[in-house]
Amino acid sequence: MSEIEIESRNLDLWYGSAQALKNISMAMPEKKVTAIIGPSGCGKSTFIRCINRMNDLVKDCRITGELLFEGTDIYGNSVDAVELRKKIGMVFQKPNPFPMSIYDNVAYGPRVHGLRNKEELDRIVEGSLKASALWNEVGDILDRSAVDLSGGQQQRLCIARTLAVKPKVILFDEPCSALDPISTAKIEDLINTLKHEYTIVIVTHNMQQAARVSDHTAFFLLGELVEFGKTKQIFELPEKKSTEDYITGRFG
Amino acid sequence: MTSLISPATSDRAAKVMLWVSASISILTLMFILGYIVVQGIPVLTLSFLLESPRLSGAEGGILPAIVGTLCLLLVALLSAVPIGIGAAIYLAEYAHEGAVTRIISFGVECLAGIPSIVIGLFGYAFLVIYLGFGFSIISGGLALMFMILPWVVRVSEESLKAVPGGLREASLALGATKWQTVSRVVLPSAVPGITTGVILGIGKAIGETAVIMFTAGSSLLMPTSLFDPVRALPYHLYILASEGISDPMAYGSSVVLLVMVLVINLAAVAIQRHYGRHHVRN
Ligand SMILES: Nc1ncnc2c1ncn2[C@@H]1O[C@H](COP(=O)(O)OP(=O)(O)O)[C@@H](O)[C@H]1O
Ligand SMILES: [Mg+2]
Repeated sequence: MSEIEIESRNLDLWYGSAQALKNISMAMPEKKVTAIIGPSGCGKSTFIRCINRMNDLVKDCRITGELLFEGTDIYGNSVDAVELRKKIGMVFQKPNPFPMSIYDNVAYGPRVHGLRNKEELDRIVEGSLKASALWNEVGDILDRSAVDLSGGQQQRLCIARTLAVKPKVILFDEPCSALDPISTAKIEDLINTLKHEYTIVIVTHNMQQAARVSDHTAFFLLGELVEFGKTKQIFELPEKKSTEDYITGRFG
Repeated sequence: MTSLISPATSDRAAKVMLWVSASISILTLMFILGYIVVQGIPVLTLSFLLESPRLSGAEGGILPAIVGTLCLLLVALLSAVPIGIGAAIYLAEYAHEGAVTRIISFGVECLAGIPSIVIGLFGYAFLVIYLGFGFSIISGGLALMFMILPWVVRVSEESLKAVPGGLREASLALGATKWQTVSRVVLPSAVPGITTGVILGIGKAIGETAVIMFTAGSSLLMPTSLFDPVRALPYHLYILASEGISDPMAYGSSVVLLVMVLVINLAAVAIQRHYGRHHVRN
């Protein structure tokens, strides 16, 4: 049984006067993949964007309850969002490489955190690109522009860029929704490898994907956590009727 | 209802009319350029570019006016670009949309709408007299800065706002601070757009005779400091022509002015190419 890395306790979130998350309590174990599924607009993105405090950027966003990372409240007074994001990385729905070279994209995080040593940067760039299964394709074109890569390559570059910062947790927000099936399969393989070293939380609207990559699954509906448990159990023996309806495709 | 003209005929007529419009536009440009160049060619020698004027400009060259123009532009740019980009960053990245941003934007719009002759008068009263800068490069350059600042602010703000939000999120999610995100990701992505704005500003400034005649003076001597008066090229050619000193010299000066504008535009294209090479090609 592995340790709990992230735990939310009675988390509520409002955008202005609209409540987007209602009383979410769930625990995400270390070095496991937790999938969050549910129909569009049910609060999946909102929830994972709480974990790296991306919602801080949204005006009028208010949060109550507790969200713990390694036992300390992410929203506590002593926590600096910038420092937190070094430990909790995020890969977004739409690949968003910087308009720079492939090398500069991966080196961006370490440089921002003060690393200047060229050899060390080279090592991190190579290591991160290898870990994201992209090195074979781009190893000898590192100074090419990242925006010329294919969508799937761009997304793996974004993963490499996140790995370069050496986070403990990686949040994925529908990382494959803009990709073709082959690129999707590569990303899924990658997630299966990465989970040996990182705690992963992945939002997906693709149920097969959740079943393939995750250890635990949470089903969200209208801002509420309907059911959370071992992926196998959620898919084979869901407790709630609405979970069963959703995974069998009867709505959503 | 049947039309008297068949669709095929009107299609052909439209094509001819559009072709005529396009030709007139190009021909007008060619005619103006051709006329000026033909009139100016006789005086265009190396000594025209490299010598000081004699007999009020009827003889000799225009070097002090070229140097004066460049100095004025340099002062205007070195002051307008940092201030303008700073204001644009504040408006686009830091300020929350609200009363304050609306007031600043409105002020910038108003500044853009002030006729240049009024800016010239203000520059005379404030810079030349009140601050005691006299007729000088610094007075002229700062007055030009008032002229181009709104352009720089507005175009920079638009370029910054056009940078996709996903890039900001990506940078912040890697643990970058807001300022690191703005300075390393957002601003470089906006450089091509900002460059265009600045070039528009220079293009405006280089011909602003009304502003500089009130502020920069009309000395034909080579300036030796920022506090020396200079006569900018457009003002020089205005005096040459309006006081009947020498028409060929006026046309020669015009050609030089046109070439300077051309060079500035080519530089802008080069800068855009350089920074644009990482951008998504559609
Ligand atoms: N920045 C925002 N401001 C206001 N409302 C938002 C914002 N982001 C999301 N919402 C609302 O919160 C709800 C949940 O959205 P989201 O978390 O994006 O859902 P999902 O990712 O599950 O599709 C939706 O009703 C959405 O309209
Ligand atoms: Mg979403």
